[in-house]
Amino acid sequence: MQNIIDVRSLNKKYKDHHAVKDINFQVKEGEIFGFLGPNGAGKSTTINMICTMLVPTSGSITINGFDAVKQKSKVRESIGIIFQENTLDEKLTAHENLMLHCKFYKVPKRKRGARIQEVLEIVDLVENRDNRVETFSGGMKRRLEIARGLLHYPKVLFLDEPTVGLDPQTRAHIWEYILRLKEKEGITMFLTTHYLDEAEISDRIAIMDKGKIITINTPAELKKELGGDIIELSTKNNSQVMRDIEKDKNIIDVTVQDNILYIKVHSSDAFISQFIKKLSVPIETLNIRKPTLNDVFLAFTGENIQQSPETQSK
Amino acid sequence: MEGILAIWQRDVIKFFRDRARLFGSFVMPILFLLIFGGGMSGTMEELVTSGLQVDENFNYVQFVFPGIVAMTLLMTAVFSSLSIIQDKEFGYMKEIMVSPISRVNIAIGKMLGASTVAFLQGLMMFALIPFLGIHYDIGNLLQVLPFMFLLACSLASVGLLIASLLKSTQGFQLIVQVIVMPMVFLSGALFPVSNMPGWMDIIVKINPITYGVDVMKKVMIDVDSLSPLVREVMGLNLTIFNRPVTVLEEVLFMIVFTVILVLLATLSFRRANA
Ligand SMILES: Nc1ncnc2c1ncn2[C@@H]1O[C@H](COP(=O)(O)OP(=O)(O)OP(=O)(O)O)[C@@H](O)[C@H]1O
Ligand SMILES: [Mg+2]
Repeated sequence: MQNIIDVRSLNKKYKDHHAVKDINFQVKEGEIFGFLGPNGAGKSTTINMICTMLVPTSGSITINGFDAVKQKSKVRESIGIIFQENTLDEKLTAHENLMLHCKFYKVPKRKRGARIQEVLEIVDLVENRDNRVETFSGGMKRRLEIARGLLHYPKVLFLDEPTVGLDPQTRAHIWEYILRLKEKEGITMFLTTHYLDEAEISDRIAIMDKGKIITINTPAELKKELGGDIIELSTKNNSQVMRDIEKDKNIIDVTVQDNILYIKVHSSDAFISQFIKKLSVPIETLNIRKPTLNDVFLAFTGENIQQSPETQSK
Repeated sequence: MEGILAIWQRDVIKFFRDRARLFGSFVMPILFLLIFGGGMSGTMEELVTSGLQVDENFNYVQFVFPGIVAMTLLMTAVFSSLSIIQDKEFGYMKEIMVSPISRVNIAIGKMLGASTVAFLQGLMMFALIPFLGIHYDIGNLLQVLPFMFLLACSLASVGLLIASLLKSTQGFQLIVQVIVMPMVFLSGALFPVSNMPGWMDIIVKINPITYGVDVMKKVMIDVDSLSPLVREVMGLNLTIFNRPVTVLEEVLFMIVFTVILVLLATLSFRRANA
């Protein structure tokens, strides 16, 4: 498969801050590429550079064969972006918003009607086409924005936290639409999200931290790399447990969060039977599971993505 | 090209949807019409005619009306440009900026949107003519329209440039206060500005309203039938470098003024990564 995005030695320095540090990565045509990282990692800065909205300090970006610095207009034609914040005109109707977009992107006049109908169908908003956007719910607005991003058949669709602030049901719906799109149109998707369960749909995931890309791999590989099982345990006296299991060879790593011990082991079968015998305090809860993306994320960045910095410092 | 049209169209649609703004922007000009047209016109007329010892059928309202229209143009044009900052605040500017429309077309589209809205407001002022006891030749009124639009473009480009440089509406309000009033008073729109002290005279001469209003008066009022003295007193003998200006020169000035400001705004759009 061909590389639709090619980023090489990309750097961005703000006055007092080196936000993106010499990163390299390629996105293949047709794949869903997840871009994860804790707050301030440099994700938005990277996306903004790829989308021609920010000039790189150094390095090169090629999208769909065009240079993001020298051929801005060509790059802009090739991409669609769903920003984190709302960028619809709420005083206009859904149809008017879409029609303006067609004009901005020079969609041929004859095709506009059909295209608008098509994208409205994808996001289930046909019935609302002549209503003003200000009367829409948060989820409807988000769907309309996704529809708009698709109107000019972009080669790459950037989704910056497309489901932030939506209820779980709406979130599930939006992902359904996004997957439907991928199947129907074969559009390459570049997405950031703070919900790691959502990142599971990615073909590959890049994890960024402090301006650097730490790893790029498929979700399955990332979890396999991490290996083993995770035992979540809470007891009356966690520090006693720590002492009890201190020398166990099966243990890879132990972390404590909110009074729960996360014990990473090579194999839970071998570990659990003798572990229970060894334990000198009563167990309150016990849960054994395979590693999730969240564990991967934690292992790579030392941070839990769903926690804000305030709760971490406690 | 279609990008310009789309940006323009959006602003015009929104103008017709926003009734509050439609009527709100009339308040100030009508207030001025009341003051200058009703209250002050008697005094002014007396001043002029008695001072000149001539018995002209001089109508001050007839004279000040084009100025009030110009003021309406200024108010609406500048406040319409505010929509650019609102677009930045509400996010729509991003949708425009990531699209392939060239930056200069964004600036032109926004400028034309604001000038059209201003022009329409100015046109609505014409509806007041019958109630003011004044009369203009229909032909003259039609003739003045292109000049009115050109003036609206110059004024919209002022608003555009300010808006392109700012991030918040608050800053805009302040700058508008500082710029709008001097532009009105130092233009000859409401009273003659023939004998201004040096630095004020410079402002008068680089102010597009000066030329716009002058052209409008020349077209709307039958200047030639007025006695030279009245023309002198009412500041209708606009000179630059001690030479009377022609309509062509005034039009050229407004075009050049608009082009320069639109280009400056383009540069600002190019730099800003909204
Ligand atoms: N215009 C700017 N000037 C100076 N520093 C900036 C600017 N924009 C971003 N930064 C800094 O660059 C770093 C990366 O920011 P960026 O917005 O790319 O992070 P992010 O990964 O998108 O984070 P989040 O998950 O919170 O959206 C941050 O430390 C931020 O403070
Ligand atoms: Mg961000």
